[in-house]
Formats: sequence, C-alpha cells, structure tokens
Amino acid sequence: MRVDVWITARVVTAAATLAVLTVIVFWATEVLPGDAVGVLSGPTATDAEREAVRLALGLDRPALERYLEWIGGALRGDLGTSLVSGREVAPLVGARLSTSLAVLVPAVLLIVTLAGTLGTAAGLRHGGRLDRWLSGTTLGLIGTPDFLIATALLVLLTAWWPVLPAVALIPPGQSLWSHPELVVLPAVALALGGFGSTMRLLRASVAQTVTTPFAEFARLNGVRGHRYVWGVVVSNALAPAVMALAVMTAGLLGGAIVVETLFNVPGMGSELTQAVAGRDVPLVQGLSLVLGTMTLLLLLVGDVAAKLLHRHAPATSGGHR
Amino acid sequence: MTARRWVLAVPVLLVLTVALAGPWVPAGSVTAPIGASFAPPTAEHPLGTDVLGRDVFARALAGGRVLVAQAVAATLLGSLVGLTVGVWAGVTHHRAVGRSLMRVVDGLAALPALLLLMLLATGMPGNDVAVAAGIAIVSAPFSVRVLHESAARLAATDYARHAEARGEGLLTRTRSDILPGLVPVALAEAGIRFVAATQLAATAGFLGLGAGAPVANWGRMVRENSTGAAMNPLPVIVPAALLVVLAVSVTVLIDRTSVSTRLAPERIERAA
Repeated sequence: MRVDVWITARVVTAAATLAVLTVIVFWATEVLPGDAVGVLSGPTATDAEREAVRLALGLDRPALERYLEWIGGALRGDLGTSLVSGREVAPLVGARLSTSLAVLVPAVLLIVTLAGTLGTAAGLRHGGRLDRWLSGTTLGLIGTPDFLIATALLVLLTAWWPVLPAVALIPPGQSLWSHPELVVLPAVALALGGFGSTMRLLRASVAQTVTTPFAEFARLNGVRGHRYVWGVVVSNALAPAVMALAVMTAGLLGGAIVVETLFNVPGMGSELTQAVAGRDVPLVQGLSLVLGTMTLLLLLVGDVAAKLLHRHAPATSGGHR
Repeated sequence: MTARRWVLAVPVLLVLTVALAGPWVPAGSVTAPIGASFAPPTAEHPLGTDVLGRDVFARALAGGRVLVAQAVAATLLGSLVGLTVGVWAGVTHHRAVGRSLMRVVDGLAALPALLLLMLLATGMPGNDVAVAAGIAIVSAPFSVRVLHESAARLAATDYARHAEARGEGLLTRTRSDILPGLVPVALAEAGIRFVAATQLAATAGFLGLGAGAPVANWGRMVRENSTGAAMNPLPVIVPAALLVVLAVSVTVLIDRTSVSTRLAPERIERAA
C-alpha cells in the first residue's frame, strides 16, 4: 500500500474514533440516569421540582438534537458553563491543560532519557546481569497499579523523609511552570508508572535489531562503539521505539488522572475526578473530549511517524508490521 | 506446573482467600469508630485504626471482595466477548466484514480506559456493577485482538482449510479445529485481563468511583489514609501490599507461562 493512502486511511480511522468518542461522552453523561438534574435540584427535591429543572435545562428535547447542538458548540470552541462553579468550560479546560502539561512534559522527558538509555543498554547485552535485573524490576513496576507507586512516593518523601512539598499549592495568579519544585514529585510518580512497559518495549526492539543479519554483518565488518550503537542499532530500532513512546505518552494522560488527584495538582485529571464526583456534566464532557482527542492525536502521530521511519529502514526484518 | 510456579501461585491464592472469605470473618464493625484516628496497633486491634478511628483489620478483611468480584466478572465478560467476536472474525467467510469489525475494535482500544470508566461512573453514580461493566468494556477490545490473531492463524492451517473445503459449518469447524488450539492462548489472555482488571478496579476505588464511603475498599483505603502514614502506616500498607502481591504474582506467573504471551506485561500496562 502506498504511504500517502495508508496515512489518509489512518487519519480517517482516527476521525471516526473521535466521532465514536463524542457519542460515548454524550451518551454516558446525558442519557444514563446520573444526569445533571440530580445535581442541580438537590437530594430533597420533589418530582415537580425535578421536572422544572429538566425543562429549564432543555433535557426534554430529543437526545439527538441536544447532541448535535453540543457538537456544534464544541466545534466553535463553546463547551458550555460548569454547573457547579458557573464558569465557562472552554477557558477552564485550557488553564487546566497548561498545568497538566507542566507535569506531563518533564515526565515524558524523564522516561525517554531513562527508558532510552537503559533499554538500549539492556537490549545490546540481552541476557546479561543488567538486563535480568531490569527485567525483574520493571515486571514489579508494571504489576503494581500506578496509584500505589504514586502513594508510595508521597508517603516516603513527605511523611518519612520530608524534602519535597507533597501537595502542589500554587500561589494564586501564578502558573505551575514557574514552580519546578512542585512539579518534581508528581512528574517522577507519573514517569515511574510509564517507565516499566516503555523500557521493556525499547529493550525488545533493540534486542531484536542486534540479532538481525545486517547488525551481525556490521559487527563482523568491525563497526564498533558509537558508530555501531547509533548508526546500526538505534537507527533501526527507532520506528517501534517512536510507536512505544506515543503509546506511553497517551497512557500517561490516563495516569495523570490518578497522580494529579493524589498530589492535588490542579490539572485536567484532578478536575475530571472532581467533576465526576460532583456530576458537573458540561465540565466532564469538555474535559473528556479534550483528553480523548489528545490521546487519539498522539496515537495518530506515533503511527504515522513510525510508518515514515520504517519506510526508510532497510527491508531486512521481513517487511511485516 | 513446575514447583517454582506453585511457589508463585501460593501468594495469589492467599490474597484471593483473604479477599473472598474476609467479609465472613467476624472481626467487628467495618464502619463504627473504635478509638482515635490513626491509633497504633493493639492486641485487640492488630492493625490499629484509620483516618476516622475505624478498625483497619476489619476493613482490610472486608475491602477486597468487591475488587476481586469486579475483576473476575469483567475478565469473564471480556473473555466471552473476545472469544465470540475474535473467533468469528477470524473464521468467517465474510472476510471484509471481519476486517472492518477489527478496525472498529482497534478504534475502541485506542480510547483511554480510565476516561471511559469515569464517564460510565458519571452516568451511573455509586454503582459497583457499572464499574465492573466499564472494566469489561475497556478490556474486551484487547481480548478480541489477541484471540482474533490466534484464531486467524489456526483457520489458515491445512487441517482447518480441509474442513472448510469439505463444507463443514462454522460452528463445527470452530469446535473441532479452532478451539482446541485456542484454549492456552485464551487462558493466558484471561490472566493478563485479570491483572489489568484488578488494577482498574482498585484505581476506580481509589478515585471514589463505585459504591461510596463508608463501604470498605482496598483502593479507597489507600487514598483515605495516605495523610496519616506518619502516625499509623498500616491502613495504607496493608491494602497496598495485598493489591501488589496479587497483581505482581499473577504478572510474573503469566510471564513465565508460555512463549505465546511474550510481552504480556506490556499489554497489561496498555490496558490499565
């Protein structure tokens, strides 16, 4: 299949998935029983009062009509107003996104550095002592739920060895970007959650490249040291690695929900937890839409980048992927 | 099973026993305060008290069943969907329909699991069954993919194609040619799904989805009590340790089981 056809098909798939996501978001928040009426009218409301709230919100209209109206607004950048705080959802999501990225970007950089270095080292000498030790450690990290890793860090570094602030209390009017000391703990917690699987995937990719005939050929021809590692192994293991990094970053968006909630980082994840607890329907919809779109975009970019990188790779791996 | 694998199976069985039989042990009230918050262990209350002065021992015994039940229910449901859809798409004559079905499954697998879980929890607040259903929905696409791949490989074998050429029906071919070879893969896949489902169920409890406080839940216990870890760490450590032992032992067990599940841990991470 030609590459441009493949990319077009991939973009169409991503767009279709996004459309499905909007339907799921709308259906879960407005059609299932826990809709906005219960929140606004309170637990002691009579049936007549609830009916009045329903009419005021326009919930008596057909679901399809409301869905199209919501999508139309979202396309124009209007995500409605929060039921709890009365603020506009779109600017609120924007502000939360900026805070989330302040934690996410350092976490991604940390994983790329650590997983890249250790994964390459372990893959170059697979079966060696470092490889076996890392294999056991990452297996433990993967088996442990992310929230436990984050809680362990929080408890260790705040209760027993208090060197870092546990809770991200940002002075009003300032952004998290200007307070690196508040980012460290949540970023490390987030990075530890995604490190295990990424390291293992990179290691597998490097180990597979090392055993290919062309890598052996290069070794036999005396290509050694940096030229061997960078020119032969890393450049050929890059396509699956880029893919793994995209999947990992998309996964961190989900992990951020837990980490932000635990460390009280006022990002998209903690806002989503609060909005779900308070059943703030427009806010849940807006946050889910942005989080879901970012995930799908990341996976799309990763797929396309891996495809383009793979096109330039020598066709020695059997050509299937 | 080798002796080494039996050793790994012991902690799994222990934690499952604590989780499932725990609520039957008469260990006192789960919700009534018995003293000050975060009191250290005593002979009467071997794990001390939690943030609201409740008995940690009783809560730890009571808090695992709902998680394990959610994980098991979601695993069974997800595997059932995976077997049905995956095998059908791998064996059917309608190749084009099967392929488009797999594209839809790929799309669903790309949606973030925790986000879908939180959306369902918004729609059905305080509902443990909704959490289990949500976990099944997010894990089914991964089962479908793995089982489809294996079923398609088995359907391409000579004996399966002979059966097809003889004109045997879809059900007969599935029962006699596909399923026998698929069983080990399906079991290993169910194991992977179980670990991911346990993690998701615990995370749901941690985030306060499902039945609300005062009900005991290992995931929520970690969250509730993390502030008092300096005074009495046991209400955090005990439920956390039970969860880690369960998840890590099952992960290691699967990792050692067979070649067909290589990269199994990565797939757990991807789903959870």
